[in-house]
Amino acid sequence: MSKVKLKNYGLKDIMYFTNKPKEREKRIEAASSQKSGAVFKVNEKAAERHPEQQEFVIEKITDRGEGVKSYTLRKKDGTNPAFFRAGQYVVIRQEIDGKLIARPVSISSGPVETLDGTIEVTVKLVPDGFLSKYIIANWKVGDEVKTSGPQGLFYYEGFRDEKKVVACSGGSGITPILSMAKAIASGDEDFELTVLYGSKNRNEILFADEFAEVMAKTDKVKLVNVLSEEEAEGYESGFITADLIKKYAGDDKYSLFASGPQVMYEFLDKETDRLGLDLKHYRKEIFGSVKQPWTLPGYPAEAKDKVFNLKVKMCNKEYEIPCNANENMLVALERAGIAGPNRCRGGVCGWCRSRLISGEVFIPELTDRRRGADKKYGYIHPCASFAISDCEIEVPNNK
Amino acid sequence: MAAKYDVVVVGSGNAGLSAAVSCVVQGKKTLLIEKHNLPGGVASSFSRGRFEFDPSVHEICDVGAGDDLGHVGLIMEKNGIDVDWVTVPDCYRCISKYSDGTPMDVTIPAGREAYIDAIEKYVPGSREPLEKFFDLIYEIRLAKVYMFDGTPNDPKYMQKHFPNTLKTCGYDSLSVMKALKIPQKAIDIIGVYWPYLGVPLDEVNFFHFGNMIDMYVTRRAVVPHHTSHEITMTFMNRFYELGGEAWFNCRAEEFLFDGDKICGVRTSMGDVECDQVLANINPHIIYANMMPKELVPEREKKLYAARKNNLSTRFSMIYFALNKSCEELGLTDYCVFFAGTADSRKEYENLKSIDNDYNILISYNNIIPDASPEGTCVISFTKLFSDGKDWSEMTAEEYYKAKDKMIEKCIEDVKKNLNIDITPYIEEVEVATPMTFARYLGTPEGTPYGFEVKSWDGVIARMTDIEADFNIKGLRHIGAGSFFGDGYSSTWINGDMTAGLACADLEEGGK
Ligand SMILES: Cc1cc2nc3c(=O)[nH]c(=O)nc-3n(C[C@H](O)[C@H](O)[C@H](O)COP(=O)(O)OP(=O)(O)OC[C@H]3O[C@@H](n4cnc5c(N)ncnc54)[C@H](O)[C@@H]3O)c2cc1C
Ligand code: FES
Repeated sequence: MSKVKLKNYGLKDIMYFTNKPKEREKRIEAASSQKSGAVFKVNEKAAERHPEQQEFVIEKITDRGEGVKSYTLRKKDGTNPAFFRAGQYVVIRQEIDGKLIARPVSISSGPVETLDGTIEVTVKLVPDGFLSKYIIANWKVGDEVKTSGPQGLFYYEGFRDEKKVVACSGGSGITPILSMAKAIASGDEDFELTVLYGSKNRNEILFADEFAEVMAKTDKVKLVNVLSEEEAEGYESGFITADLIKKYAGDDKYSLFASGPQVMYEFLDKETDRLGLDLKHYRKEIFGSVKQPWTLPGYPAEAKDKVFNLKVKMCNKEYEIPCNANENMLVALERAGIAGPNRCRGGVCGWCRSRLISGEVFIPELTDRRRGADKKYGYIHPCASFAISDCEIEVPNNK
Repeated sequence: MAAKYDVVVVGSGNAGLSAAVSCVVQGKKTLLIEKHNLPGGVASSFSRGRFEFDPSVHEICDVGAGDDLGHVGLIMEKNGIDVDWVTVPDCYRCISKYSDGTPMDVTIPAGREAYIDAIEKYVPGSREPLEKFFDLIYEIRLAKVYMFDGTPNDPKYMQKHFPNTLKTCGYDSLSVMKALKIPQKAIDIIGVYWPYLGVPLDEVNFFHFGNMIDMYVTRRAVVPHHTSHEITMTFMNRFYELGGEAWFNCRAEEFLFDGDKICGVRTSMGDVECDQVLANINPHIIYANMMPKELVPEREKKLYAARKNNLSTRFSMIYFALNKSCEELGLTDYCVFFAGTADSRKEYENLKSIDNDYNILISYNNIIPDASPEGTCVISFTKLFSDGKDWSEMTAEEYYKAKDKMIEKCIEDVKKNLNIDITPYIEEVEVATPMTFARYLGTPEGTPYGFEVKSWDGVIARMTDIEADFNIKGLRHIGAGSFFGDGYSSTWINGDMTAGLACADLEEGGK
């Protein structure tokens, strides 16, 4: 094999004809060997601006009723939280019984509040939920909590979006929209926002005071409450339909932003077809993981309710864990306490990307946002994949 | 401690991938460690909405096709890497100013004859010197093959067969082209590619530059069909096939030594024992944070002090997905350079400011029709900076404003130069800056290019110093900061060659 080494020697011959290497030696000789440590400012700034993790202390809890609470978080070390674009989320990372559980939650405060040292997140209790239940029941003022840096792409992009935005939202999906409204009031964002906010009834409406406060400051934000199970003066009733959107959009060009539960998107997708909106003008927030995969086309019915065996390779470790066919594969990893990196939990961000070594999985088309070459070479996003046989996967390290 | 490996490759950028595959092909027990959750470094892709973008690739050279394989093509063949390549038919269109200040708008095809014809048309009187130029760079190609064929080089043979190569290889590119009596305007046109090597024509060694022109023009460039993530996946697939092991989201923290010889790597997953390490990490970072200070050779401290201000080009990339096809929009070229001036020295100075006029437009669908869904296209703009200062001094607010300004500038460049308004069709837009690259690659100041190939620190000078540089037992640096310089091709070659050296060491040690 010493042949390989010779490859490079030939170039030395050129030295007979060039004086460059001599100049190089001179330059090196003349330099000082005393310089210590390399500091790269761009790298330091980048790390500051995109922290992997932010450690907070809960400063205030606001009960919003209907099983919804807002948490004002201040950085533990006194520095300001990373600046974000209104509409972005953070991933809450909470240890429960020694297992790290993560869930994305939108920031409900405005970006300007980071300059006062805080962000606010708002959590809605999900009936058969896990982390939301834990948070609502356990988080108290003074507790230390951890989140990711700001993530997500659901924000106003002036180069793409029209000056006029109609936002359709339902449930806790109102939080990123509220942040946008606040950003308009503080001058961080500049567009006209009409919010069509769907709730079952008046009791369910969240953040009425916050919106009133925003609208007192700016006439660029309008709020229309749409009640599906109640009729009342000053409120629209029914669902957010194409006609309703048209009514409030008027004749100007507009972008439609949607943020709500899976069922709202299923409904809206049909309405936007009727409106003839192209994809540039129809932006949807991720809604998290698909629930009840067996209701989706292409699901092999016999897999439902089964528990499969999942072999997991993680660097130099190997595990065998149960994987409930009804839950996405990231949940199986979380239940086993071995979940690696994850953020959006809706198939989009690619953070949980893993190699499927063997076995079969069901990947709902709705949330299949894998890279082209990943599809070709058998990589999956566990948060958007469901085991339909015993499987073996290789996942990134979880530390 | 985990099982012992022959080789640990730290970092899965282009050099790391190439090195890792080369090691398993040579039968070595190899571990690849990557701090990110996916491999590739800059050879990757990212999704926005219904689009997938390549973060970096413009053109890849030295691959070749059929029985005319380039250096890269040969390595890929040897290592069993089979990528779905698409050939780039034209070199570029360039809208700029000639060195003398007169306007330039040229479209230059690839292939020696067509290339010379085109330049002769723009700059009459170029043909004869250009024929000589192409003969010379062809000779350089042959000289390179001879020098790299793995046998000792005979100075007499070289003098006989490559006299012009030896005569010119000690000089900068501008001097050589002038000596060949190529008219200045034609030099300006040939020189459009200078930023791909990071230093201006009066600085970059002719052997290096001439060879690049040969690879781009004579042999033609290629691009991967499905973004450079596909190339990365092809490497990984081969690596796994031959029993390689890879750990993702795992950070190498420190190199471990037994005396003055490497014996392992401390990672966020624990210590790993090994005989050889190939580190796809800039040496600045290795020396500052990853090994005992007393083991850093004096000469290396001096070398990196000498290179302190010589970090090569930083980039901003601005990616657009448009909801109209290239055809509908009138974007007809794959690659258009918008440069303030074709005078590379002047432009190099201009690039110190982030407000420079330099921009490269790539319209992928023109050669890869299915680069995006039907009726849409993806395009990117590349802005260059020869200094990182402006980026490091911005507040968060200024940073977001600077990003917006870049987007505006790109829109304006297409409007002004091509008379096309893309504004109404923007479905996705994303900006990567030196910060973004710093964050994902971890390279100093976010440069993907390593160190400037200054006249004193060019590729030939580095190669002749190959034994003196980075003289640490069992630890080698691979990547753009290594002897072969920047670029996909160079780092693949560098990774493969360096893996060869590591494997040779292993064999000498009886492995
Ligand atoms: C971008 C984005 C922004 C969002 N913003 C907000 C917001 O601002 N406010 C808000 O309230 N919500 C928001 N959501 C929704 C929020 O993330 C979900 O409501 C939340 O994740 C619900 O968490 P959960 O654990 O309670 O329930 P789910 O995740 O819906 O359901 C429980 C899941 O946990 C699994 N599980 C059960 N037991 C265990 C166990 N022992 N270990 C591990 N897993 C188990 C179950 O199988 C099930 O999959 C947002 C979602 C996204 C994607
Ligand atoms: S966590 Fe985002 S794709 Fe799985």
